[in-house]
Amino acid sequence: MRRLQTPIYFVSPTPYNILGLDQWVGPFEYISYFDSFDSHHPHVFVPSHEAQPEFASFEAVNTYLLSHKEVTDRIHARGGGKALFVMFEEETEELAGELGLEIALPPRELREHIDSKITTTHLANEAGIESAPNVLSRAGSYKELLQLAKKGKLGTDLVVQTPYGDSGRTTFFISDEVGWNEHVEKFVGEDLKIMRRIEHLPGTLEACATRHGTLVGPIQTDITGFEELTPYRGGWCGNDIFPNVFTEAIRKRIRTMARKLGDTLYANGYRGVFCLDFLVENDTGEVYLGEINPRISGASPLTNLITSKYGGVPLFLFHLLEFLDVDWELDLKRVQKRWEEYDEWSQLVLKQTEDVVELITQAPPSGLWRMGDDGRVEHLSPVTTWHTVGHDDEAFYLRVYGNGDYRYKGADLGVIVSRGRMQTDDRRLTDRARRWADGITSLFAGVPPEQAPVVPEPLYTKWF
Amino acid sequence: MSTEGIRDRAPGFHEATVTFRSIVEEQPGDRLKDLFDVAWPAYRRWFLRDGELARPSYARCLRALRTYVPELVPVYEKLVGTVGGGDLEARFLSLWEPTPFFSACSIAAVPGADRGIVRNYDYVPALCETTLLASQLAGRRTLAMSDCLWGVLDGVNEDGLAVALAFGGRRVVGRGFAITLLLRYLLEMCATVEQAIEAARIVPVNLAYNVVVADAEGDAAFLQIAPDHEPVLSRDVLFAGNRQGKTEWAEHAVMTETVAREEAIAAALVSGPGREELERAFLSEPIYRPHLRHTWGTVYTASYSCRDRTVRLLWPDESWELSLAAPYEEERTRRMVMTMPPVLERTFEPPHTPDVIFA
Repeated sequence: MRRLQTPIYFVSPTPYNILGLDQWVGPFEYISYFDSFDSHHPHVFVPSHEAQPEFASFEAVNTYLLSHKEVTDRIHARGGGKALFVMFEEETEELAGELGLEIALPPRELREHIDSKITTTHLANEAGIESAPNVLSRAGSYKELLQLAKKGKLGTDLVVQTPYGDSGRTTFFISDEVGWNEHVEKFVGEDLKIMRRIEHLPGTLEACATRHGTLVGPIQTDITGFEELTPYRGGWCGNDIFPNVFTEAIRKRIRTMARKLGDTLYANGYRGVFCLDFLVENDTGEVYLGEINPRISGASPLTNLITSKYGGVPLFLFHLLEFLDVDWELDLKRVQKRWEEYDEWSQLVLKQTEDVVELITQAPPSGLWRMGDDGRVEHLSPVTTWHTVGHDDEAFYLRVYGNGDYRYKGADLGVIVSRGRMQTDDRRLTDRARRWADGITSLFAGVPPEQAPVVPEPLYTKWF
Repeated sequence: MSTEGIRDRAPGFHEATVTFRSIVEEQPGDRLKDLFDVAWPAYRRWFLRDGELARPSYARCLRALRTYVPELVPVYEKLVGTVGGGDLEARFLSLWEPTPFFSACSIAAVPGADRGIVRNYDYVPALCETTLLASQLAGRRTLAMSDCLWGVLDGVNEDGLAVALAFGGRRVVGRGFAITLLLRYLLEMCATVEQAIEAARIVPVNLAYNVVVADAEGDAAFLQIAPDHEPVLSRDVLFAGNRQGKTEWAEHAVMTETVAREEAIAAALVSGPGREELERAFLSEPIYRPHLRHTWGTVYTASYSCRDRTVRLLWPDESWELSLAAPYEEERTRRMVMTMPPVLERTFEPPHTPDVIFA
């Protein structure tokens, strides 16, 4: 991989998902929107732009990047290559084509198809996998919802999901009519997945569907909904990764599910990495399929960290092999075996919780940090990857918004990757997690946004 | 811009020095770069007025140029390189879907076989480049009053085709180039009025504008250009103010007194005047609009001769003739009293990127 000639570009708001991969792959470059590393990272290119224009979506950021003259000049100078995205839209595809970039991902339509929670359930059935007990249907009223639930023996304490979108926004807990009415406009006219609410532990993993079978990355638990970290109820705040998660039997069930699903996806034309969210029911230890994210994801960082550090090779390399037009062999069992022993690691996603808008005047830099006994954190070194985190009192921080950007409720303030766990077995945030989150976020400073600067306008507003 | 320090003046009357200059540069080089460097800060603010994402990306701008005016792409790329090659600069210079701006103006073709065009350019002087550019950008030699460096407000080319624009007085905004790019294209690519009409059918323009074209063979036409319909052609009525037919935008019409100007031009044309007589009409009120009384006063009057390939820049007290055959560089300054428009307070919205950065 290091001898690769084809330039590979990861085009994304930040290098977050596959940070560190440039150590493994030859001409690899991150094209990012946010300058997380203040120009330190030798393989990150950030085109110049006005501070923080308003993007409609994640995909729109990628379209913006590939439309920017500095990016297109750079890609043209190096003569095309391959592109990777977390998410992309039709226009991003067109632009990649115009630039002579081949997208090293499954086709957009296939990804979109699989992204639907309805398709997921069908795929699971095809793969012989258990989804959480559910009914797929449409409901025009709460009464209809209850009828459907009754048919599926789901009871009245329900979880309703709409097909597309981030789980945090599309999952609704409905135990009475009030709950239904609160979001009724989102339900009526949509295909719904109606489920029995089960007490469970959520988890995730990244797997890679290849011609030689499905490689399964290490199992992660989800950290969600903590008010110290996110203003969104049920919002994703990070993951823990440790070998003795759940029980041996449950781990086996999870891996089997991932393998079956990966093989089914491959049979349906999907190649490469995907993220699998699952639920482990508290009482029974049953493992249910939650959701498939057919893309590079938030599960990628810890997966690649563990598989490279302890297993010798990051999982993502196998994804690249699928798209590099080379013949390759794999002893799948042997590779999997190398990913069974590792230490505890975690990632915390920090979102601004206060409802306050500020122009940032000070922000902690990305890099290696250490926490003292008093809970204060100090910046040790501007490293550009989390692989160098050594002691338990160290962590890697990746910044998003910096000086001159705005922060507001829900803004992503960054990610912390460290050794050890951030969540206890009974799903409480550890003190350590709180201190890291606090330590970093307290280093942001800002001022209230200015009122409108007075502009000599050549035309009266009323003309528009 | 050419007007010293006008930007920060309070509303009301101000006296200022406006510099008119002629520049001779065949291909984009130092002269255009210098002009750009002076003008860019103001242009950049205007370009970003509605936010960076409100303007099309570089990829889209280039695609539009390649689609509609491919012959201009090589000189466009050279121009972009000359001014530094940046993303914003390249998008701005493409003149594709620019920040909408509206102006005024009067235009008329000189009647008879010895064609020409007389026009008044009415706008806020502070926002004009007041530059006459003699160049050979894409093959033909041209002499034109410029805007956004290479856009054309009015001009003539070596074949004797003359063009001029006036705002059409409609608020409609659509997908297209600035009108000044269409006029640049006409001068670069067309020798006759027939060819200009064909080209105007193909190149989309974002706003409603009136265009008069005239050529050395004695042909002339008046085109109503708009983003929401095909160009409307007239060969009989060869003049315009700031309307396309009936008044659509009453406030604008009243402010620019377009009806009075149109009537005055029509009256002047009744007797079949020669070029000088038409010039005198344009230099008299109501066609001529003194700055002391109008925010959008007449910045300059231009009179083109198709046969001679010459332009006369005119003011009530001065006249400056230049010819395409022998262009030269010169600067002339004028004291102008002008009215600054009232200031506008804009409400501020901190930008929100999508909630999902880590996904």
